[in-house]
Amino acid sequence: MATFLLEVRTEEIPANALPGARRQLEQLFTKHLADVGFDGIAVRALSTSLRLVVLAENLPDRQADRKEEMMGPPARVAFDNDGNPTKAAEGFAKKAGLPLDEIHRVETPKGEYLAATVTHTGRTTTKILAEATPKILAALRFPKMMRWGLGTHLFVRPVHGIVALLDSEIVSFTSFGIASGRSTVGHRVHSPDAFDLAQADDYQATLENRSVMVDPEDRRQALEDRAQSLAAAAGCRPHPDARLVAEHVELVEWPGLISGSFETRFLDLPPEVVVSTLRHHQKCLILEDEAGTLLPHFLAVIDRKDDPEDLIRLGNEWVIRARLADAGFFFDEDRKQPFEDNLSRLERVEWHRTLGSLEAKAERVGKLAVSLSEALELDQKAADLCRAARLVKADLVTYMVGEFPELQGIMGGHYLRLEGADEKLWTAARDHYRPVGFEGAPPVSAEGRVLGLADRLDTIAGLFAVGEKPTGSRDPLGLRRAAQAVVKIVVESGWALDLRSSLLKAVDGVAEHAGEDLETLQEALVDFLADRVRRWLTDMGGVAGDTADAVMAASWSSIPETVARAQALEAIRNDETFRALALAFKRVRNITDAYADGEIDPSLFEHAEESELHGKIIDFHTALEQLLPEHRISEAFQAMVPIADTLDRFFDEVLVMAEDSNIRANRIALLKTLGQDFLTLADLSKLQIDGGE
Amino acid sequence: MDLQSLILNLSHYWADSGCIVQQGYDVEVGAGTMHPETFLRVLGPEPYRVAYVQPSRRPADARYGENPFRLGRHLQMQVILKPSPHNIQELYLKSLEALGIDPAVHDIRFEEDNWESPTLGAWGVGWQVLLDGMEITQFTDFQQAGGIELAPMTAELTYGLERISMFLQRKDSIYDIEWGGGISYGLIRLSDERESSTYGFEVADVDMLRRHFEDWEREAGRCLEHEPPLVVPALEATLKTSHLFNLLDARGAVSVTERVGLIGRVRRNAVAAAQAYTAQREKMGWPLGNALEGKEAE
Repeated sequence: MATFLLEVRTEEIPANALPGARRQLEQLFTKHLADVGFDGIAVRALSTSLRLVVLAENLPDRQADRKEEMMGPPARVAFDNDGNPTKAAEGFAKKAGLPLDEIHRVETPKGEYLAATVTHTGRTTTKILAEATPKILAALRFPKMMRWGLGTHLFVRPVHGIVALLDSEIVSFTSFGIASGRSTVGHRVHSPDAFDLAQADDYQATLENRSVMVDPEDRRQALEDRAQSLAAAAGCRPHPDARLVAEHVELVEWPGLISGSFETRFLDLPPEVVVSTLRHHQKCLILEDEAGTLLPHFLAVIDRKDDPEDLIRLGNEWVIRARLADAGFFFDEDRKQPFEDNLSRLERVEWHRTLGSLEAKAERVGKLAVSLSEALELDQKAADLCRAARLVKADLVTYMVGEFPELQGIMGGHYLRLEGADEKLWTAARDHYRPVGFEGAPPVSAEGRVLGLADRLDTIAGLFAVGEKPTGSRDPLGLRRAAQAVVKIVVESGWALDLRSSLLKAVDGVAEHAGEDLETLQEALVDFLADRVRRWLTDMGGVAGDTADAVMAASWSSIPETVARAQALEAIRNDETFRALALAFKRVRNITDAYADGEIDPSLFEHAEESELHGKIIDFHTALEQLLPEHRISEAFQAMVPIADTLDRFFDEVLVMAEDSNIRANRIALLKTLGQDFLTLADLSKLQIDGGE
Repeated sequence: MDLQSLILNLSHYWADSGCIVQQGYDVEVGAGTMHPETFLRVLGPEPYRVAYVQPSRRPADARYGENPFRLGRHLQMQVILKPSPHNIQELYLKSLEALGIDPAVHDIRFEEDNWESPTLGAWGVGWQVLLDGMEITQFTDFQQAGGIELAPMTAELTYGLERISMFLQRKDSIYDIEWGGGISYGLIRLSDERESSTYGFEVADVDMLRRHFEDWEREAGRCLEHEPPLVVPALEATLKTSHLFNLLDARGAVSVTERVGLIGRVRRNAVAAAQAYTAQREKMGWPLGNALEGKEAE
């Protein structure tokens, strides 16, 4: 059993490309090894910022020999009348690579034939890997690829060396103009000299001796441990940040971490500014006390074991001081003028090439917010909302948000608060970008919610209008997330808003930019939003997909009510009686779909079952009229149940398609009325129920 | 190390590494990349190595001399290596030693930072080089320029000289760094930063700038239509339109819809100059040689 090692050394590979590269290497090697008959081989792909590594253990030395039965010519053709072999027999033996006396005969339904048992000698593993590896390396795909030097080769970064060993033997091939061998290097600072690897299986230990930790998981563990101990030494704790640590892991060959401090005066800045500076710009871990309050310390990742002259700490502290001072400068500059002065600059900032400036957007959002507020009967003044729609966007032209785009909204909130603005207003500015998709809480104030809703509806309608819709997995402008946020805000606010008509109002605002006819656009938007509502029902409401389909087929435009119906249906759908009802309802739909509503005339009833069903329908209708206005949705579904029995008996005893056309029409009208009443709650025919058609 | 020693040491080092030591361009540019020694030389198969200090003007970044980290005009040390050498990182790290930075006692990392210039129809992949957390160099492998796919490829190194000086001298303000002979950067530059800020943000005559934009754009077109095309004059006229655009932008005179249009007009001429240059050099039989000839692989 042998171990295969592949190491491809490059210049620094982008952190975001490495997890995908490891995944591809594992998949491609595993598949190839399985294809050549090496099943169940565990392939491990590892990496540092400077190398991609594959290790595969327990490989056989070679493929097993394979015997194949080869069919030849019919025996009567292969031998003449005297029993001597003909040219056909000799040709077959030659093709099989065997002497004639090793050729045998087999009986087949078509008569006797010549046959040969041919042995295919298995190839050596070295040879298999030497052929496969360059192909696999060439097949790797990265978010961004490049050429270097004369431009001959394409890869994620220039390649500097390739090691390929099967145990101690070189697996020989050429990739990117570089011949594989056994020479590699250690850590750039700690162990820069080239050296030869004797064998594959102690690769990780050898590299670790040369200050390279090849396994990302080992580096993650080491970084986490070191963060804990450095923080403990400073009497604090690292703010949990798995995403940043995951990036640190990919940035280095050796997982070093140092701690540093900055002056406490910078803690007078809004905490988000300090966090952005440290985390987003310097990729530092934040330190906090037990209560989660920011402390004037940080942890910085370094690609080495030590800081021999304390220069690295001093350098990082200098940079962070400079960065925080820069942020402080912008904060002070922004506060020199009243926040409202920023409004005059909104028209100079492009929000979208076709859809116009931020000013134009804020105006549309204001108008839409007013109409939403009126529909919701919120006690908000139109002028206040229109002004707020512009003010919440005004931080986009501040220095601070210019430098830290991720602080949009947050800075507006701070600036308005510091100027003594109304709490509803400053929280609206702060919150109106939240939630992101289904994640996060909606804005705290009704103003924030209405504005957040209007902002996103305008964004979705506008970008659809100019043809920038999400397609497949591509949604670069985050429209799906925007629509999900719409759903979340409405549901969590419990707003009985007609979302469909709100969306159509948003379309009115951007209609002049529409590149297609308005009806097609409206239809596409309504479908898009309905799809997000369905997503909410399944992902957040926890109902089955067909439950969501059933209730949405009835209606979905008022989302909180739709959610209530979905949950009620989900709770009841597996009851025995209810399942029977759902099956019967399918028959009702099948029979009545083609017909319009009709009047029921009880004088035409011939069977007791007809009168009985009619009675149940009237009861149900009365129940709905009472229950629905009181939002007693579960009870409304319960009220369906008594109909099941009656309906079954109706189908057993009554022939709907009676010969007499009046009687037939009356029976259809009866079922149709029942169907319509059911459809106010859900289209039960959408439920996938066992025992159905 | 003072600022001028930084410049002298880097110039020496790159001269010893085979670079022509050029001078910064005498037309206003926003970055060393717009210098014809970069923008044109990266095109075609001719090998080239050059280094120069480029004063880079960004009127919108000016801060009246009040922000200790930002300038309306700063200095870039630009190094161009074509084809990009295989030992480029090694060469670069040695250049730091020329600045008195010993990699053995610092943390030096190359983090992904790609570059794109819509105005020049150019993009590249690359890194920012971090020294103890401080960005000291932008490192780019050009993939395309003037809308043309490149071969061979060019490595571009851009050192932000004031930032590096601040870091090496541990100064909290650009204006406190020592330029040379005990004289501070502030003594030499502060008053013109103030004046240029006032000019760019408050005084510049918008109508005049617009007029000149039109004029120089037309002039670029005339140079390109000339038979044979006048490549460098066309590029210079285009660079002037680019700078005029930057001034208009800083002045707050560029509206939303206009912006995209103006950038597109600058790019159109930049791309045309790039194409004319390639055709001209080919006609001349690649006077500096052909790196692709007779070589299968590097």
